[in-house]
Amino acid sequence: MNILKRYGLPIFLVVLLILPNLLDPRWQAIAITFLIFSVVALSEDIVLGKAGMFNMGHALFFGMGAYITAILNSQYGWPILATIPVAVLVPALFGIIFAGPIVHLRGDYLLVVTIGINIVFIQVLQNNLGGVTGGPNGIFGLDGLNLFGWQLTSQLSTYYFAFIAMLVTLAVMRNLEKSKAGRALHYLREDSLASESIGINTRTYKIFAFGLGAGLAGLAGTVFATQYSAVSPEAFNFMQSVLFFSIVLVGGSSIPGIFLGVFVMFILPEIFREFSTWRYFVFGFAMILTMILRPHGIWPASFGKIPKFLIKDTDHGA
Amino acid sequence: MDIFFQQLANGLTIGSIFALVALGYTMVYGVMRLINFAHGDMVAASAFVGLTIYTQVMGQATSLVAVVAIFFLAAVVMAGVGIILERLAYRPLREAPRLSAVVSALGASLMIQNGIMLIWGPQMRIFPELIPNISWEINGVVISLIQVLILTLSLALMVALYLFVEKTRMGAAIRASAIDQDAARLMGINVNKIIAIIFIIGSSLGAVGGLFIGLYYRGITFNMGWQYGLYAFIAAILGGIGNIPGAMLGGMLLGLFQAFIAGYVSSTWADAFTFILLILILIVRPTGLLGERVAEKV
Repeated sequence: MNILKRYGLPIFLVVLLILPNLLDPRWQAIAITFLIFSVVALSEDIVLGKAGMFNMGHALFFGMGAYITAILNSQYGWPILATIPVAVLVPALFGIIFAGPIVHLRGDYLLVVTIGINIVFIQVLQNNLGGVTGGPNGIFGLDGLNLFGWQLTSQLSTYYFAFIAMLVTLAVMRNLEKSKAGRALHYLREDSLASESIGINTRTYKIFAFGLGAGLAGLAGTVFATQYSAVSPEAFNFMQSVLFFSIVLVGGSSIPGIFLGVFVMFILPEIFREFSTWRYFVFGFAMILTMILRPHGIWPASFGKIPKFLIKDTDHGA
Repeated sequence: MDIFFQQLANGLTIGSIFALVALGYTMVYGVMRLINFAHGDMVAASAFVGLTIYTQVMGQATSLVAVVAIFFLAAVVMAGVGIILERLAYRPLREAPRLSAVVSALGASLMIQNGIMLIWGPQMRIFPELIPNISWEINGVVISLIQVLILTLSLALMVALYLFVEKTRMGAAIRASAIDQDAARLMGINVNKIIAIIFIIGSSLGAVGGLFIGLYYRGITFNMGWQYGLYAFIAAILGGIGNIPGAMLGGMLLGLFQAFIAGYVSSTWADAFTFILLILILIVRPTGLLGERVAEKV
């Protein structure tokens, strides 16, 4: 178990690094989807799993990133890679501004407000507000990747683009776990009142988590727009948010659990295509069953990066 | 002014449907502190069950007796589904973390929604015209018999529910369980029984709502539950979730609001305006219009 804990992630990453060279184009595309949705699910984990806020509108930030890339590329001719800073910062800023007045809401109310903002977003896209979102059809015909004059239009380069996005996300999450902010989020999720009384500014950290999660989801959006060279409203509707929400909780809000969740939710249906009509029925059943058998998720997260001198004291107490 | 009264009539009709469905959410939330996401899909299922009862059991009869029988049978079937749902998906998770129950509810919602699709197919089905299509025109405002029936029946059911909860022994037990389950248990209340009763009442009211949706809009689809469920849930929150008169008020207000948005602005923006209203109300009054300010339990 210890070996798995220590070397599991590096081995997994090496496998992901080699994998696309062994796959045919169809499976390469599926692998890219896996990477993109993993990034979104991991970023949802920052808000839902780490900070404990019931966010059921995460597809909004994902979609916002994708649409920003698509609009800047198709309307203003920006190269895809140049849109990344905007596609990360605007959703992050929006997340911060949006979270400001609502983070104090009790769990279930927050859930409904986030569902709501996601639906408002989709309606704005469909009604083509400002004439830039392309209405229900979305935007299509985006450029390929282009780095200092190299055309990186092959599927393989999109794969590595997605892979880098995932490495960035994993690095952020790793740092978060080790940092002051990560510990603050952990405490405020466990007990918001107690953490406030020991001097953690819960409001600031909640908004911070929203902004961080939103920014990473925006990054995934850029990759998504690159992969399909198109965006449309359906890809970001609140049903997607429900799936990301469920993936985090069924997976247990740990990194391996989330990978597993994304795999089951998005990759298994590709393998068992003949059962596609049964897909959501089986998922629904699996969700209920998992929660009854393992209420904390398949692979529950353990908060293992607390400094040693802090843990010792509690051992004495026990 | 014609538009105003026309939309008033339409708004009261859809508002009373929202209110009926919202009662199911609010009662379950009041006692279990759980958003029963599957409730909207139960409402949709009820319309399909009603359709099947009409074609298979009633032999397509539209007499008054047959219509009453369809309502009664659909309510009984959905009450049964509600009890099974509570027993299998929610009861094992009563002591589990809040989010686990939410995920289980989402799973139940997916199961019911796609169960409908597997049984009745993904295409839109047309609900039979059970109520004769009679309408009156008063000063340019058209009011149909269905609208009048939906409004009066919903109001009657809501008054009956209110009296049941406020005036009977069983109602007192429900209110006690909503305040504190453990204390209620110590007073000799069988909380499991109370929860089962709540699911029976909520599901049958939702079933009536589902049949009303079928009668009023005629076209029913397997995934319409999310839409109506979400509206009803917003109605419950507007009124203050867990609060029975609040759900009725919230449902009516939401129905009127949507009707006026559709009448005066545009129906393509109805959802956006609805959610913006919800967000604004929650920012100003975080526990809804009639909700009491309660500190989160520590």
